[in-house]
Amino acid sequence: MATTDLLSAEVATFESLRKELIGCAVGKYALVHGDELCGVFESNKDAIRQGYERFGNAPFLVKQVVEVEIPQHFTSNLMGV
Amino acid sequence: MPSFTHQVANLLQDGPLVEVRFGIGAVLADILRKQGSAIPEFVAGHALIDTGATRTVVRQDILQQLHLNPVGVTHITTASSQGVRCYEYLARIVFPSNVVIETVVIGAPLRGQPINCLVGRDILSQSVLVYVGYTNTFTLSF
Repeated sequence: MATTDLLSAEVATFESLRKELIGCAVGKYALVHGDELCGVFESNKDAIRQGYERFGNAPFLVKQVVEVEIPQHFTSNLMGV
Repeated sequence: MPSFTHQVANLLQDGPLVEVRFGIGAVLADILRKQGSAIPEFVAGHALIDTGATRTVVRQDILQQLHLNPVGVTHITTASSQGVRCYEYLARIVFPSNVVIETVVIGAPLRGQPINCLVGRDILSQSVLVYVGYTNTFTLSF
């Protein structure tokens, strides 16, 4: 569970660019750091690799560009949320 | 084909539970190595194979022990909560017989549980799970 706002700036940046990204990069993975879109990649792993190479072990956001984000479902109550 | 078979004392009671180790992703380990920085040691824990979990979840304290920072954000829905925001992390999970899976996991409290990890359908989508109830064994092959 997110108890801090480590990626709040990145999420805000992504949301501000969402419409534009849907127009040109739907299905691809955006790499965001702070208020900067650092690239769009074909795979999650490529984006994460680039994030580590540029920023090291610091928080960054890799998010798939989709029109509707579907929550992840868990049928058990083991999650503790 | 990497594979392991595990026997538990009581599969009915405990479920398909297996001892695993958690580590940082290979890319980050390479970068830390090149920087001359210490690489966090693998952390031991227990994982439950959960076909009701869309994604693999690792308890937050394990990720903190590995000094991992998030690489993503997602939302989860359970029987008692909806749209809870959680961070994502790139991690490696080492199963028995040194079967190593690297994947983006979700960090969650898993409060009050004797387990540190739920192995979800994201990992299972790459594997074959054989569950033999009357011998208390299960096999996971990749």
